[in-house]
Amino acid sequence: MQPSHPTNATWNPSVRAARLNTGLAIGLVAVLGLSLWTGWVPIAPDELGAIVQAWLGNGAGEEITGKALVFGLVRIPRALLTVLVGMSLSAAGAVYQGLFRNPLVSPDILGVSAGATFGAALGLLIAGSSWLVVQSLAFVFGLAAVGMALLIARVVAVRPMLVLVLAGLVVLSVFNSSITLLKYLSDPYNELPAIVFWMMGSMSRGQWGDLLIAAPIMGASLILIHLMRYKLNILSLGDLQAKSLGLNPALYRLIFIFLSSMVVSVSVAVCGQVCWVGLVMPHIARTMVGPNHEQMLPVAVLSGGIFLLLADTAARSITMAELPISVVTAFIGAPLFAYLLYRNRGSGWS
Amino acid sequence: MSLVCRNLHFAYNGTPILSAVDLEIREGEFRVLLGRNGSGKTTLIYCLAGLLRPQQGTVTIDGLDLAATPRADIAQRVSLVPQEHADIFPFRVLDVVVMGRTATFRFAQRPGPEDYLAAHQVLAELEAEALAERNFNRISGGERRIALLARAILQAQNTLLLDEPTNHLDFNNQYRLLEKIKRLCQEKGTRVVASMHDPNLTARFADTVTMLSQGRVLAGGPINTVMTAQMVGRLYQTPTRRVAMEDGTALFVPCTPGQGSDHREADAPPAARWT
Repeated sequence: MQPSHPTNATWNPSVRAARLNTGLAIGLVAVLGLSLWTGWVPIAPDELGAIVQAWLGNGAGEEITGKALVFGLVRIPRALLTVLVGMSLSAAGAVYQGLFRNPLVSPDILGVSAGATFGAALGLLIAGSSWLVVQSLAFVFGLAAVGMALLIARVVAVRPMLVLVLAGLVVLSVFNSSITLLKYLSDPYNELPAIVFWMMGSMSRGQWGDLLIAAPIMGASLILIHLMRYKLNILSLGDLQAKSLGLNPALYRLIFIFLSSMVVSVSVAVCGQVCWVGLVMPHIARTMVGPNHEQMLPVAVLSGGIFLLLADTAARSITMAELPISVVTAFIGAPLFAYLLYRNRGSGWS
Repeated sequence: MSLVCRNLHFAYNGTPILSAVDLEIREGEFRVLLGRNGSGKTTLIYCLAGLLRPQQGTVTIDGLDLAATPRADIAQRVSLVPQEHADIFPFRVLDVVVMGRTATFRFAQRPGPEDYLAAHQVLAELEAEALAERNFNRISGGERRIALLARAILQAQNTLLLDEPTNHLDFNNQYRLLEKIKRLCQEKGTRVVASMHDPNLTARFADTVTMLSQGRVLAGGPINTVMTAQMVGRLYQTPTRRVAMEDGTALFVPCTPGQGSDHREADAPPAARWT
């Protein structure tokens, strides 16, 4: 074995991750372009140029075409929102997997998605409630569900992580049963389809208004998670070692759970439940750059954005009627996950 | 400058684990905690690390009361090598070692080049440089111990706490590990507190010993005065002989039932049950 130069060996993973991140960022822009261009209203590149020119050249005398409306009011906000949701779900998945020291954990484990879905269903049943009410209820109930799980764990106060998972299970079951109850009580001609459609997830409601509310919350949470990501390495060792290394695990865990729950609640409020992104994307990132959250988290976030944008583009292009996005993410995500399990079988995973 | 533990009482759910424990460990001293399973060794180590809050009594390090000191400040003085290390994400050994710097990091800080360089140096001092790029989950038990020892050394060189460091190590690795720890005491003045099961390794490497029995200090002091066949026999509740070796060291050997006539130095009744 030849002695390697220490600094050389040290910086290999981060150099590789930096290159990969640059590639992923370029890929994201490319997919964004593809997604804006794709759809049932064909917009050719030269038309696109004309539209952009019309906007930039303050459109004096130019007529705003139907295509420009489709592009500016539908495709752009939808694509940006999709990228943000994909990034958020992936980041939340990486955070939860690190905190719970378990690669099979998804952001739903503390009941945030179930709570948010319940809130949305409740909003859909209240006659005459606007989208804003539905979305606000989804957000509030998502956070409330996690709050309940944390409260139960705090009252029990032994074996914090194990009890938190079990408390999450309790909250999840309560909210899932409540959703079933709401479905049972709902009017089967109008309300029930609305609830079911919400649960399947769709980016089709994404508009500039949603983006303006969601982007600051998601953006700020993602930045904070990104800044604090090294702490996930320490937290993944468990409370005892984290404490003896000088970290306050309870405090940091609470911050991470709060930030992740924020982004997942907003995601469900914007587009309903989207499965598999939070579970699979962190795995892909780990396969590419290893488990160190310093490198793995940015890769997971960028891949999550790309993956969901591709899935949404497929969902609205494959068939005449738009497919629910969770169907697409599951059809791609599940086999991908199986492949990753096969690929990583020798990595010493417990 | 000492690690001082005064009148320490610790109970878990009302069951007393430690009672009235007094200790004083100087700089550069290698102290071994000897005792049977369940005698409170691990609990005492966790109390010394500030991980468990004693119900009564104080632990001070160089005059600093652990109960009133922030966790990051404790961690820069006291490091711990835990007994069991559950498999985690398959980190590189170097990444595991550099985690020793955690206590010095601010909110958004991550290890920088100087931290990785320091981690490399500690590994090199332990003759474990070759482990740096290996997957922590795929190395042997002995190599993991060395990696975790490196992490602890990088974390703090004032006081090093080792919970059964020789567990699961083979014959040769036990000696190599203890020799390295001993050298750390002598060369850097690191204070070491280790819980152990083997009275012979203890007698060979430690400066002082504290014998724990059912959460109380049975005896404590320099090896030569405390480690007698009678005391070792009392501690383990097994009649024990002290066999002198040619080089002046001694071995402690339990008397088997057939050796009744050799009980001269041991007066303890045999242990009645597993603990």
